[in-house]
Amino acid sequence: MKHSLSFSTIGEMTIMGQFLVKRFFQSLVLILIVSIITFFIMNLAPGGPSSMMRMDATAEERAAIAEQLGLNEPVIVRYKDWLLSALGGDLGTSLSSGQPVIERIMERFPYTFQLTAITLIISVVVGVILGVISAMNRNKWQDNLINFGSVVGLSVPSFWMAIMFILLFSVELQWLPSSGVGDSSLVDKAKSMAMPVIILATSTLPTIVRFTRSSMLEVINQNFIRTARSKGAREKTVVYFHALKNALIPVVSIIGVLIPRLLGGAVIVETVFGWPGMGRLIVEASQGRDYNLVMGVTVFVTVLVIVSNFIVDIIYSKLDPRVKAY
Amino acid sequence: MKKLWQISILFIVSVLVLAACGSAQSDEGGGESGGAEGEAVKGGEIAIPIAADPTFNTWHPNAYAESNVVNRIIFTGLTKPGKDLSPSPALAEEWSASEDGNVWTFKLRQGVKWHDGEDFTADDVAFTFNDLVLDESLGSNGASNYKSLEEVVVVDDHTVEFHLERPWAALPAYLAFNSEIMPEHQLSGGDPWDNVEFNKKNPVGTGPYKMDTYTSGQSVSLVKNEDFYEGEPNLDKVTYKIVPDSNTQIAQAISNELDIFVMEDKSAIERIESSNDLEVVAADITRYFWIALNQEDERFTDAKVRQAFTHAIDRQAIVDSVLQGYGKVAHGPITPDQQAFYTDEVQQYPYDVEMAKQLLSEAGWEDSDGDGVVDKDGEPFKIVFDIAIQGDLERIAQLVQQYLIEVGIDVELNVLEWNAMIQKNIIERDYEMMLNWWSYPTDPDVYAQYGSENAGTGNNIPGYQDAKLDELLQQGQATSDPEERAEVYREAQEYMAETLPYIYLWYPQELQLRNANLKGVPDTYFGSTLHYIYEWYLDE
Repeated sequence: MKHSLSFSTIGEMTIMGQFLVKRFFQSLVLILIVSIITFFIMNLAPGGPSSMMRMDATAEERAAIAEQLGLNEPVIVRYKDWLLSALGGDLGTSLSSGQPVIERIMERFPYTFQLTAITLIISVVVGVILGVISAMNRNKWQDNLINFGSVVGLSVPSFWMAIMFILLFSVELQWLPSSGVGDSSLVDKAKSMAMPVIILATSTLPTIVRFTRSSMLEVINQNFIRTARSKGAREKTVVYFHALKNALIPVVSIIGVLIPRLLGGAVIVETVFGWPGMGRLIVEASQGRDYNLVMGVTVFVTVLVIVSNFIVDIIYSKLDPRVKAY
Repeated sequence: MKKLWQISILFIVSVLVLAACGSAQSDEGGGESGGAEGEAVKGGEIAIPIAADPTFNTWHPNAYAESNVVNRIIFTGLTKPGKDLSPSPALAEEWSASEDGNVWTFKLRQGVKWHDGEDFTADDVAFTFNDLVLDESLGSNGASNYKSLEEVVVVDDHTVEFHLERPWAALPAYLAFNSEIMPEHQLSGGDPWDNVEFNKKNPVGTGPYKMDTYTSGQSVSLVKNEDFYEGEPNLDKVTYKIVPDSNTQIAQAISNELDIFVMEDKSAIERIESSNDLEVVAADITRYFWIALNQEDERFTDAKVRQAFTHAIDRQAIVDSVLQGYGKVAHGPITPDQQAFYTDEVQQYPYDVEMAKQLLSEAGWEDSDGDGVVDKDGEPFKIVFDIAIQGDLERIAQLVQQYLIEVGIDVELNVLEWNAMIQKNIIERDYEMMLNWWSYPTDPDVYAQYGSENAGTGNNIPGYQDAKLDELLQQGQATSDPEERAEVYREAQEYMAETLPYIYLWYPQELQLRNANLKGVPDTYFGSTLHYIYEWYLDE
């Protein structure tokens, strides 16, 4: 019988199992803390669900709606109720639409996933290439140009850049649609996605470029590279095979950091470009004090970040045997 | 090299797969506007922006402005605003009040069908009012407008009676304002607000357009109702695109992706006027801006103080700068679009710093210690001015602050998020001075915002209580003869201009941005033009 498991011994599996259990409980505690903070901050903030906050509603109308939405209970009781039902897998119904919270999230999540995943892939591929070019041409014009671009990307506010892009590409040149997700054709979709992806990438791409650059510079001076060169390997092989392979390992680790940043950036990008994702959903939910929806999206995003970081940790430890995730 | 190829292929494939994931999702959206294409009269499609996801039920507590503009063409009411804004027939063909004014009889149109083929009858009207509006536990949106309605009685399939607690001449006008009739066969039984299938997915109305597809966060596509009772609409399709950002809305109008909407940001007007494909239409609207001085605070109970404030603020200058001239200085709650009732022959308060100072001093406020701030009994006149983050409000408040400082009133601005403002100023009535606006059905009945019984928790925000004003406004409600009514409201306007329950600022005009090829749109405010969407067409 062949073993397909990559773990060499039963002992390692046990350690892995313990690690998983520990990580799982740590995550639960983290989610609990996040949910408590979010719930109380939101409920203690002034205001209430939009349906109660109409300028012309009378006190009786507000009272009737508060009763319907179950908001007459003390905050602590409402948190307990929310927690118990969430533990049972039910995130409740949205106060603003009456739909189940999970249904509203799943309506929007595919769009955010699509936007952030494509941005991440493009950021990694383009970022690594630019990072290598930058490192290999240290202090030459290529390096300076890439550095300049990174600084601009990181420092210009994305909402401003987004509006400038709309004015240029949608209004002046009329090449790209200024909002929406396009219809079903792939070309149309790509056109709708171009601007949101580029703007979102400005917050992640520079980080990857800089990280790759410094990582490459570090690796390139190490002994095994000198050995490879002295063995007469071609420069391209040295750079792209020996050096990059090793330089990429730490780059993997920052992907874990970039995922929350992408999800945060999606809030602005989705609002400006009318992209129907979760970022816009949480903005609307917070403004309208849709307590259940804000809680649902927060927990969902927290789980997403925990899981993706976990995956990154595992991959990292597999790539670099010196690093142990567990 | 082989690896590099593999990686490249993997990269391309993953991008394509991800792009395809989403395209399956958006297939049903399908509501992309073709912009200004279209034939002479029949056919074509238009797109209108809305800021957020709508709720397809006029009375739902979550149906806000973005829902109203959609519901207005899916559903219809008993009456609608005429092209002169007075109530005109819609589902009701004619109506009359009883001698004592306590009962209104509405004759309903025959042969009207709901979008699902069911007949529209008097039972639907009774259901809408008795089971939705008057059920206090539901907290229906707009129910407070129908405070004096007791019940709706079905006389026969095509006749209903509205039984009132007291005479109410404005009823037909209120029925034209966000008071669409809902189908009993779809909504009865169970909590009407929990009916997600109807309220969020597949509404059934009697209006000129019916639901095609709705994708949350993207668009609502409606197709024409060929059996619409006023005749088949010209445009085949109307798409409401959800575009939350007002800058993006304007950019989309310039690139011909949107056809008609109200421009919130008046400063974009120059950019638009240079475009040949667009036109800007300024329309009067039943809305006025005001400042409320809390009457619980005894510094504001003296009319001289309120008059001084009005003289101190250069309202014309604010209209000229912030509103770019699209507005008119206000001197009461009855707006100029109500030509039969509006009068400007009332006490006026032109910008006059000296006059303001004199009135303050008559009220006992003088700068006795020479610090630039007027005082009374050793107390300086210091006010906290609450202002919500919304459109131009902050900018306006800063100007008002400067004007008041000039006459010796120390004003501190307190900027609040909208929702927090409602909590503090409206629910708790915890404020000294605030600025906001009222929009109301095009009828001079403004009792809701002025009646003494509506102080404290109702819409009488300043809490101004005055028996004489109550009497005048109630007389206006009870009188159905147009000339007599006009006389009563003329007197009420004179009285309110003297006493200033609110500090009146201006009547803004609404700026509509329209595709120049879109024809047949009445030149009234946007909300009322939608009642005539079946007459709109694209001409090229």
